[in-house]
Amino acid sequence: MRRAPGVLARAALLLVVVGSLFPLYWSIVVASHDNAAMSARVPPLLPGGELGHNAHAVFEAVDFQAAMANSAIVAGTVTVSNVLLSTLAGFAFAHLVFRGRRVLFGLVLGSVLVPALLGVVPMFELVSGLGWYGRLEAVIVPGLVSAFGVFWMRQACREAVPRELVDAARVDGCSLPRVYWHVVLPALRPNALVLAMLTFLTSWNDFFWPLVVLDPVESPTVQLALSHLAGGYYTDYPLVLTGAVLGTLPVVVLFALLARKLVTGLVGGRVNP
Amino acid sequence: MFARLDRKVTPYLFVAPFFVLFATFGVYPLARTAWMSLHRWDLLTGPVRFSGLANYAHLFTDPLFYNALANTASIFVVSTVPQLAAALGIAALLDRPLRGRTAWHGAVLLPNLVPVVAVALVFTQLFGRDQGFVTWVLTWFGADPFDWQAHAWSAHLGVAVMVIWRWTGYNALLYLAAMQAVPRELHEAAALDGASRARVFRSVTLPGIRPTLLFTVVVSAIGGLQLFTEPRLFGVGSSGGNDRQFQTLVMYLYENGFERFDAGYAAAISWVLFALCAVLASVNAVLVRRLVGRG
Amino acid sequence: MRRSYRPLWLVTALVLVAGCGGGTSGDGRLRLTVATFGEFGYESLFEEYERAHPGVDVVGRVADFDAHHKGLITALATGNGAADVVAVEEQYMPRLRESTAGFADLAKFGASGLRDRWAPWKWEQGVADDGKVVLGLGTDMGGLAMCYRRDLFERAGLPTDRDAVAALWPTWEQYAEVADRFARDAPGAAFVDSVRSIYTAVLNQAGESYFARAGDSFIADTNPNVKRAFDIAGALGASGRTAKVNTFTQPWNVAINQGGFATLTCPAWMLAQIKDAGGPANSGKWDVTAIPGGGGNWGGSYLTVPAQGAHQREAYQLAEWLTAPEQQRKLFVDDGILPSQPEVYRDPVVLEHKDPYFSDAPVGRLFAASSDTIRPNYRGVRDADVRPVFGRALGRVEEGSQSIDQAWEQAVREARDAVR
Repeated sequence: MRRAPGVLARAALLLVVVGSLFPLYWSIVVASHDNAAMSARVPPLLPGGELGHNAHAVFEAVDFQAAMANSAIVAGTVTVSNVLLSTLAGFAFAHLVFRGRRVLFGLVLGSVLVPALLGVVPMFELVSGLGWYGRLEAVIVPGLVSAFGVFWMRQACREAVPRELVDAARVDGCSLPRVYWHVVLPALRPNALVLAMLTFLTSWNDFFWPLVVLDPVESPTVQLALSHLAGGYYTDYPLVLTGAVLGTLPVVVLFALLARKLVTGLVGGRVNP
Repeated sequence: MFARLDRKVTPYLFVAPFFVLFATFGVYPLARTAWMSLHRWDLLTGPVRFSGLANYAHLFTDPLFYNALANTASIFVVSTVPQLAAALGIAALLDRPLRGRTAWHGAVLLPNLVPVVAVALVFTQLFGRDQGFVTWVLTWFGADPFDWQAHAWSAHLGVAVMVIWRWTGYNALLYLAAMQAVPRELHEAAALDGASRARVFRSVTLPGIRPTLLFTVVVSAIGGLQLFTEPRLFGVGSSGGNDRQFQTLVMYLYENGFERFDAGYAAAISWVLFALCAVLASVNAVLVRRLVGRG
Repeated sequence: MRRSYRPLWLVTALVLVAGCGGGTSGDGRLRLTVATFGEFGYESLFEEYERAHPGVDVVGRVADFDAHHKGLITALATGNGAADVVAVEEQYMPRLRESTAGFADLAKFGASGLRDRWAPWKWEQGVADDGKVVLGLGTDMGGLAMCYRRDLFERAGLPTDRDAVAALWPTWEQYAEVADRFARDAPGAAFVDSVRSIYTAVLNQAGESYFARAGDSFIADTNPNVKRAFDIAGALGASGRTAKVNTFTQPWNVAINQGGFATLTCPAWMLAQIKDAGGPANSGKWDVTAIPGGGGNWGGSYLTVPAQGAHQREAYQLAEWLTAPEQQRKLFVDDGILPSQPEVYRDPVVLEHKDPYFSDAPVGRLFAASSDTIRPNYRGVRDADVRPVFGRALGRVEEGSQSIDQAWEQAVREARDAVR
């Protein structure tokens, strides 16, 4: 029987959580004050009453609705695609025999090594050559699948999907796509959900590449809209952090709504004590 | 006939999307960058002339390159080791029965959710020289106001804190997902044998999550070598302090490519970085394999 | 190119993005995009232009200084993604003059005829190939003055009247003496924000800095102007006269708000930043007077038309209108943006303009006077590679990690490497 964590362990965990929460809490504090308060010698430690006013100013200053919608489209598409394509490739690498498998998987691992910032100029040439400059495709398509996801799902597949199960299904005459859809995908659900969550986060918070290929005014993501808010010589921090809080809340809410599913996903088919 | 085709061709179709995208957005830029690195290449006007390995020759005698390399290594060590250790500990705690599990998971991942702009502001506030929170706490113990950005060690520490803060929860959840896959019976058998919790962790859990461990170490190593956002946000501009005391390799790359328009040199840095990533990743992989035996 | 079968968001994105290299909106109207950074005060002018030119939509894009110029450079590098009209800050001009192919030559639209509108040096910075190619039309400029806190000066027993204050510091050496006096009599506040702002101001008063006007050769190591500016600023930093806060950072905002320093070198555009950072509570505490060493210039921009745009002529017409005297006058009165055209800054409306926030300082007259004495500062093609090196060196002096001599030596070494 596994025991619940003791007092010390709980305290440690609590400390971690407090540390994790503090910057967000502090963002809310700043977002609910005016800028004069932020310039005081001792910055405020408790939320003030300016949040509504600041939020209004954010929506005045940038097209925040459009930014939210764009971010949701980008992160949503990238997430769904990443999960599907990564589990697909992961399954192939884990359980299927085909010529060149080892070499190809070596390539997947190798591709993790390519520094993201390395090819910005060639990437930009490519994307704008395809006519995607300023369009969401420019951020969606390069992110449709990741080596990270493929590697991880291969690992998960080896652990969660017994090879015998795959073989049995094939003996029964199931085609590979059917095996994938009916056997592999359900078994990978716990890991796939975590992959989905992390992919969504990464995509939602991506800043550098969207900054290069999108336009902060005409095709903003949430992160671009935020940088736009911080764009003047003079930065109105409460305004920027109000935007940050507004841009974070939907994700928090989304995760909270999905939380039960995610957790059951995380603990998988395991029987709880 | 169809089954045969299915067996032969379908696996390739399954992995094809990855490789098509990787070839387009990974290999092509990499190859083009290699080509650029062999030229004196102006970012604005394009190739000036073919220069062979001149960019690389200069790189290996460039003190600023070695400075950036040393900073990157230092920040990497200070940030990655505690980060992965803490992630492991948090994952182990979360792996046990816990009321309100959902909330804990969410809270741990939260730092990764906070927009970069907000992170920058909060941390410069925390480590501010005059009004910073850390300074404020230190003055309780009689310390003078301290300029965190001005010294190499303190700047590295500050950047490391940002990295640790942003990425520990992320790795913890990766570990947690792996731990959940370790068959429970193994734990219970070991516990019945009278093994202590620490021992169960060492001899059952760790080997059980070895592949994930390996992977996170490799990814963190690469992430560490490519560190850019956090140190860039920690100071002003991409020089990383007045004496480049926290300029990382990618910041140096960025400075050359986008501030000095020397795309050829920046491309050479990219390729050296790529090679370093490959070496470091393989060393790490071997290391972890040694440390965490096959159980 | 509209594709109605696409989901709504994509259509919207397409319509919006069509303007990126110039384009027409769905109803056949011409869309021109104007990319600026910081505060140009153009929003109301766009509306006015649209009213006067039915069929033209003007869309502004504003980014921060760095993001804006990085964006322009990426766009130039790849031939894609630039706005129809793009603002360029003067420090980027020397480098961009080297790649004239990226920009429309405005001379072919008749820009050469406008030459006399601008102060000669302002015009010169915007042209290439001995003036045959016109790259950009000047917007504002950054005539130098000195801002100071009346309350802090009073506390230190210094005069507060702006003419009396100007009389204290005809030269930078005298300014440094005032700094010493201030430190003795008003401890608790610094005299100036940072070494960098002093250094920039002193250096910008010189005709030549890092590169020689003749032949563009590297002279930073031997030019007495550079060493002098370095020593003046370095001495202030080494003796702790600076608040060690860099311009536009949050600590700088806080220091302005809290009276952390008593003086600040003030290009015209700085007044708006002080107002923002100081807030209403600090109204009337600041004043503006003449800067030591005579006039000078810090900053100012140009409007350019990238060659990749599809509507260069229309873009030029817009840029010409935005930089025309009437608009420059309006921008000064409404937003305090200093015109770069003598006819405008000598206009009575401008000359008589006073700023209540700055204790009713006659900012129009002050900046006009400063602008008239500007010695055009030559910027080399590789200026931007060298300038940060010296800034960082002074930062090390200010932090106390190096002596002035050590910092200078290292800076010269790094600068030589940078121009290899």
